[in-house]
Amino acid sequence: MLFIITFLVFLGLELTPGDAVSYMVSPEALANISQQSLEQLRDSLGLNDPFIVRYFKWIRGVLKGDFGYSLSSGVPIYKIVFDRLSATLELSITALLISTFLGSILGIISALKKGSVLDNMLTFFGMIGVSIPQFFFGLVAILIFSLRLGWLPVGGRLLPGREAFLDTLPYLILPSLVLGLTMTAGVMRYARGSMLEAVNKEYIRTARSKGLSEWRVKLIHGLRVALSPIVVLIGFRLPMLIGGSVVIEQVFQWPGIGREFVSAVRFQNTPLVMMIALLFVLVMLISSFLIDLFIAMLDPRIRLE
Amino acid sequence: MIVNRAMNDNAIITVDNLKIYFYTNQRCNKAVNGVSLKIKKGRTLCLVGESGCGKSTTALSIMRLLPELSRIEEGKIIYHSDEGDIRIDQLKKNGKKMRSLRGSDIAMIFQDPMIALNPVYTIGFQIIENIRCHTNMTKKEAKQRAIELLKDMGIPLPEQRINEYPHQYSGGMRQRAMIAMAMSCNPKVLIADEPTTSLDVTIQAQIFELMKKLKEKREASIMLITHDMGVVAELADDVVVMYMGNIVESGTLEEIFKSPTHPYTKALLKSIPVLGRGKNQEIEPIRGITPDPFKRPKGCQFNPRCDYYTDKCFKMPDNFEVTDTHSVRCWYYKKVSGNE
Amino acid sequence: MESVKKTKLDKKMDIIKQKEEVGLLENKSQNRALRRFLNNKLAVIGLIISIIILLAAIFAPIICKYFPQRVDILNRLQPPSLEHIFGTDKIGRDVFARVLYGGRVSIFVGIGSALGAAIIGVLIGSYAGYKGGLIDEIVMRISEIMMSFPQIVLVLLVVSIVGQSLWNLIVIFILTGWGSIYRMTRAKILSIREEEYVLALKAFGLNDIIICYKHMLPNALGPVLVNITLSTAMFILQEAALSFLGLGVPFNIPTWGNILNMAQDISVLKENWWIWLPVGTVISLFVMSVNFIGDGLRDSIDPTQQG
Repeated sequence: MLFIITFLVFLGLELTPGDAVSYMVSPEALANISQQSLEQLRDSLGLNDPFIVRYFKWIRGVLKGDFGYSLSSGVPIYKIVFDRLSATLELSITALLISTFLGSILGIISALKKGSVLDNMLTFFGMIGVSIPQFFFGLVAILIFSLRLGWLPVGGRLLPGREAFLDTLPYLILPSLVLGLTMTAGVMRYARGSMLEAVNKEYIRTARSKGLSEWRVKLIHGLRVALSPIVVLIGFRLPMLIGGSVVIEQVFQWPGIGREFVSAVRFQNTPLVMMIALLFVLVMLISSFLIDLFIAMLDPRIRLE
Repeated sequence: MIVNRAMNDNAIITVDNLKIYFYTNQRCNKAVNGVSLKIKKGRTLCLVGESGCGKSTTALSIMRLLPELSRIEEGKIIYHSDEGDIRIDQLKKNGKKMRSLRGSDIAMIFQDPMIALNPVYTIGFQIIENIRCHTNMTKKEAKQRAIELLKDMGIPLPEQRINEYPHQYSGGMRQRAMIAMAMSCNPKVLIADEPTTSLDVTIQAQIFELMKKLKEKREASIMLITHDMGVVAELADDVVVMYMGNIVESGTLEEIFKSPTHPYTKALLKSIPVLGRGKNQEIEPIRGITPDPFKRPKGCQFNPRCDYYTDKCFKMPDNFEVTDTHSVRCWYYKKVSGNE
Repeated sequence: MESVKKTKLDKKMDIIKQKEEVGLLENKSQNRALRRFLNNKLAVIGLIISIIILLAAIFAPIICKYFPQRVDILNRLQPPSLEHIFGTDKIGRDVFARVLYGGRVSIFVGIGSALGAAIIGVLIGSYAGYKGGLIDEIVMRISEIMMSFPQIVLVLLVVSIVGQSLWNLIVIFILTGWGSIYRMTRAKILSIREEEYVLALKAFGLNDIIICYKHMLPNALGPVLVNITLSTAMFILQEAALSFLGLGVPFNIPTWGNILNMAQDISVLKENWWIWLPVGTVISLFVMSVNFIGDGLRDSIDPTQQG
């Protein structure tokens, strides 16, 4: 799988218009080079080698940390990636935590009190959350909280010169809440569905036939089984750590990977696009592995195989 | 609805004119429409009938485990406990009193143990849960008891098995485990809903043996739901035959098998092969099909398929007592029993 | 002994019982799914609202006074008035017209992509599922790869390679979206495949293709319909997000997302609410209605649901 994807990424890279040298070597080195030396350089970089050889050389380079250089800014890509990564992770981890806990708890409560006023309200809000475009929600939030009420800053992450985490907090609140709340809606619907399904199974009836109290039936028997798909959902949402904040980062001018990705696409900065894509793939594979791990932990039927 | 006064002292559960209606899909389905029966102490009552005749529903209603979109419309369910009669139909569905009965006075086992047992908890956990819910045993005592139970039910290596999960057991063992769980608090009544339908024939025989033993040793009364007359012949002391939500005939095993008086009962008996009668025995399927519950025939539900039918059958037959223990709902029962 | 109180559920049941006894409900056993759907209040409301918006978009030329492209610098940034129901934007274009015409494109992209993805997904899913073997394996792998990317990333990736245009966008959406319907159809076909009537058909010597498409497929269609509806909602949101970023439909064609793109300018955000707030609300309303319909369809088709 990994093989295929890296191959595809490399293919995409090859399709970059222009000379491959422009992104394989730092701009400073290219600045004053003569035509002849350029030829030698291309040769030494293996640009005249067959496709497969170049592919493997590229893989080797990637593993060593050489991601190439950005077409637009000339900055080495790995530097861009790592700088932005922490900002994105700040945002997405916060949002992920909010949405996971809030969503699961609300979804479960909603299912337990099916048909009640609370359930109907939550379901309705869940529906809104899933239907409203994320960025629109963000825009409205900015309008209300930053522009009209002036409680929170409009965008960006830090004022230059201030590095402490606490300083980022006011900037973090709005974007992470917007991202978190919209994600909560999705988790909540899923959790509710999972819980309802678990509570309708045969073994719930068996548990009741033993005379157990309702809360025990629903929580110990129902919830425990409902938890499995919910936790697995967390695994599925891990790739969102990097990819999910793309739009929000744009709205709030948050200096993260997402925003970087968007501008890379906009300016056809293919090497950067490809590298970030590769990063997504990696995260995806790791989370896929984690999903399998979670499932095995929670479902004894699979564990023992 | 008068049944058998002579046997009244003997009953542990009395069901009187029970009516249960289902309200799914915005329709009203009269699944059980006036059922009366008695489960007698120390005896096995078999409830026989085709799928959809209301037998499982009747059983579930005794435990008050009916699904949400259904309710008991009329009738009484009385549990004759040591402390007096308890009107189960009037208890709050999941209230304290009902819950104290479930599992400890009246217990139930279900058709498919693979889906009836929770897959993420060990068998031991599920048995111990029942024990500790109704008694004051400590964890250790309960665990000991669970191990004894598993041994009693014929499960080898119980000390090891107790920590295993349902999917690690074979089909027959799972059913034994479920029976162990149900019997863990020595209930007076065990309700078994088609317990062997999902098992192999050889395993079926073992489970039957187990149930007979339970009845003798623990003096439990058993209510067995089944669609298989063979099972009835094996285990029943008393039989109740149901069709489309009504009881058409009830009596002891001998009376029903040797002198059936309802056309449906007779047809049922004719439609199954009997071991020993040889391969040329006549097997006659019952003609016609089970009617749509929403398009029921008028009066006696069996009349479209009945050989003895006349216009009188458009009126629901009264309940006639053939003997003290044998009753039937058919206008022509005398004719039916005469034509042997 | 505890007394039994009449609950709300009890009363509902009583009403049904009376109707049944009088014989009122007998003829309605026709289309159970339809009946359940119509009983779902939210679904019906969703249906009404989405039809209203859809009709407004379709009949835009009749309803709107102004062309969406008509530039009128003198009247730029006008707040809503009787002349311009949603006001005018930065270069004087009538926002109301842009919203209605934009709706055409956005809804078209949404439904078109959903249908396209569904057709491909169903065709491939049913045949691959039915035949099994190597084809099935390969297609499974491909769809797995494609489905594991967050959709936006995948779409952006492809946009960066093939460039922006309306049709490109639809094709991209279809390419990234066929996976889930494929999976679903395949699963359904696999479960039907082992059923007896299929074996019987095979025994009669019927051609594989006929068995697959004529006999097995109709049984799998219910969930597909639900998926199409919910996918439409998803694609509309995606188009909006992409166009908002400037990477969706090119600017010369108005779409809901394109209109919102203007809101990236803080002054517009703050001072000219009419340029972006109504559009966003319309998108949310439409998507929500479609989601209600989709949920309603899903609940009414699901045999385990107890209406």
